[in-house]
Amino acid sequence: MSTIGATGTKPRRNRPKVDGWRWAGRIFLVLMLLYTAVPMVWMLITSIKSGFAAMQFPPQWWPAEPTLASYRKLLDPQNSVGQDFLRFFWNSLIVSTLTTILAVIVAVPAAYAFSRFSFPGRKFLFFAVLLRNMFPAVIFLVPLFILMRVLGLVNTHGSLVLTYLTFGLPLAIWLLKGFYDNIPIQLEQAARIDGATRFQAFMLIVMPLSVPGIIATAIYSFIAAWNEYIYAYTFLSKNDQLTLPVGIQRFFSENTTDFPGLMAASFMMSVPVVVLFLVLQRYFVRALTEGAVKH
Amino acid sequence: MAHVVLKDLVKTYGTFNAVNHVSLTVNDGEFVALVGPSGCGKTTTLNLVAGLIPITSGEIAIGDRVVNDLDPKDRDIAMVFQNYALYPQKSVYKNLAFPLQMRKLPREEIDRKVREAAQVLDMTHLLERKPRELSGGQQQRVALGRALVRDPAVFLMDEPLSNLDAKLRVQMRSEIKRFHQDLKATIIYVTHDQLEAVTMADRMAVMNGGFLQQYDSPAQVFAHPVNMFVASFIGSPAMSLVPLEASKADGQTVLTSAEGWALPLSDRNARKVEAATSRKVVLGARHSTIRLHKSPVPGAVPAKAYTVEPTGDVTFVQAFVAAAIVNISVPPTVPVAPDEPIWLEFDQERIHLFDGETEMALNAD
Repeated sequence: MSTIGATGTKPRRNRPKVDGWRWAGRIFLVLMLLYTAVPMVWMLITSIKSGFAAMQFPPQWWPAEPTLASYRKLLDPQNSVGQDFLRFFWNSLIVSTLTTILAVIVAVPAAYAFSRFSFPGRKFLFFAVLLRNMFPAVIFLVPLFILMRVLGLVNTHGSLVLTYLTFGLPLAIWLLKGFYDNIPIQLEQAARIDGATRFQAFMLIVMPLSVPGIIATAIYSFIAAWNEYIYAYTFLSKNDQLTLPVGIQRFFSENTTDFPGLMAASFMMSVPVVVLFLVLQRYFVRALTEGAVKH
Repeated sequence: MAHVVLKDLVKTYGTFNAVNHVSLTVNDGEFVALVGPSGCGKTTTLNLVAGLIPITSGEIAIGDRVVNDLDPKDRDIAMVFQNYALYPQKSVYKNLAFPLQMRKLPREEIDRKVREAAQVLDMTHLLERKPRELSGGQQQRVALGRALVRDPAVFLMDEPLSNLDAKLRVQMRSEIKRFHQDLKATIIYVTHDQLEAVTMADRMAVMNGGFLQQYDSPAQVFAHPVNMFVASFIGSPAMSLVPLEASKADGQTVLTSAEGWALPLSDRNARKVEAATSRKVVLGARHSTIRLHKSPVPGAVPAKAYTVEPTGDVTFVQAFVAAAIVNISVPPTVPVAPDEPIWLEFDQERIHLFDGETEMALNAD
C-alpha cells in the first residue's frame, strides 16, 4: 500500500497498480500455457513428419511434406507394428476401465458410509485410507511386487488393477464423501418418511444427485490408471500384456528410434484422456468446487 | 387421523441426554407445538416420533399402534422439514407423486391426487417446475403439498416457517392454521418461535434441556407459567424477573430489595411467599401489567429508565429495578428519557412469584 496522504490522489494511484498485477498475472498464464502447449504441438508436428525430416537440424518448424504414414502404420492390423500398438491400446483400455468400475463400486458405498453413519473406528479408518498416499508410490513397488508374486498375479492385468485401486480409492472416497456431506440428510429422511427404505432412499434420491461426483471420481481413476508407468513396467514382462505407457517406450527403442511413430502413438494415447476430460469436465469442475460455496 | 402418545421417552447420545423422560399425549385432530430454545430437544423428539433416529427407552404410539420398532415409512406420518427437503432433481409434480409412487398406487390415482393437492395449494401452474425455480414461499407450499397428498395419520413439522421472510411467515402461519382447521389434522409442530406456538397451537409443550417444562394451552401457559424458564420464554418482550427477598414488616409480608425499598404484598401473594421454602423470591411481571409513574406514589418502587424504544403503537421502556432489567410498555404519549428516575407500580393480581432457589412458581394453595 502506498502511504501517500492526499486523499484525492489515492484512488487514482491505486488503479493502475491493480492493473499492473492483472497484467503480470496474464503474462504468467500465457507463459504457463506455452509451457504446457508447446510440447503437445511439437508432438503433433513431429508425428506428421517423415522419419528423415524429424531428425533434421535446424528443425523444420512445419513439415515440408506432411504425411499421415505413421498413423496409418500404427492403426494397420496387418502390420506387426500396428498389431502391437492396437494390443497395447486394448490392454490399457481393459486395465483402466476395470480399475474405474471397481473404484466407483467400492468408493460410492464407502464414501456414503463415512458421510452418513457413525460406527466404531470411523475416524481412524477414514484417515487410514489416506495412509497409502502419504508415501511416494515407488516405496511400495517391491513390497507390492512380492505380494503379487505370492498371490500369483505377476504378469496379469489383475495385479495392475489391484495396485491402481489402492492409489485411486483414497482420493475417490474423500471426493465422494465431500459430495455426500453436501447433500442434505433431510432429503433421505423425507424419502424414508415418504415410503422408501433406506436403500431406496439412497438409490432413488441420493445417487442421482451424486452423479457429478461419481463422474469426477471415474475420470480421475481412469486417467491415473491410463497414464501409470512404473508399476506396469515392473509387474508385466510379456509383450502381449503390456499397457500403452510401457509398450510405446519398449517397442520404439528396440531399433533406431522412429520419432514420428513414437509421437503419433503418444498423440493417440492422449486422445481418450482429452476426449473424456472435454466431455465430462463440467462435472469434474463442479465436483471439485462443490462445498466451496453455500447454496 | 390419529392420536399420538409419548410415554417416558428418552434419547441419549453418549452421556448427553437430549430427551429426558418426556411424556405427552396429542389428541386426535389436535395441533401441538413443541417449543423451546435451540438444543432443548424438541427436534430430537420430533425425529423420534418420525422414526429417523432410534429411541433409547420409552414408548411411542401412533393411533393404537406402538411404533417403536417401525421404519419411518411404516408409521403413516408425513413431515415438513425446515429446509423443505424437496427432491432437487424432480419436478414439483414428481415431488408430490413420490410418496404415492412409493406406496405403489395406480398411475391414474396418483395423477388425480397430485392435481387435487396442487389445486388446494394453488400451485397447478407450478407442477412442471423444478424446486430451484420456485420462490421460498412456493417451495414451502410444495413441501406442505407433499405431506398432505398422502392423507397420513399425523403431520410432523420441523420449523417449517423459519426460512421464510417475516411477511411471508405471517401469511403462511395463517395458511397452516387454516389447513389444520379444514383437515382436522393431527399436527406436531416444532418451533423455537414462541409467537408461532402461541398463535397456532391448541396446546404447547415447552421444553428446555431435554425436559418437558409445561404442556398446556397457550393461554394457560401464558397466564400460569410453572417456572421461571417458561415465564421468561413465553411472551414478547419477555417477562421481567426481579430477584428479591421476603421478610416481615409490621406483621405484613413484604419483598425487599438490596437498595432498601420494600414492596408490600396482597394477602394472596403473601400466602404464596409464606409457602416458599427459601426467603429468596423472584418477582415476575409482564410489561403490560406494570404502571409507570413519573413521581413517587404509594406502593410503587423506584427505578431508573435505561432505554426507550418507541414502536408506534406503544413505547417500550427498559428500566433498572434492584439491579434487574424490567420491561414496561407505555402509551407513546408518555415522555420518558433515558436515565430518568421513574416509579413502577405492579398489579398485585397479575404478578408472578417464583421460588428463588427452585425457580418454580409459588402457589397460594
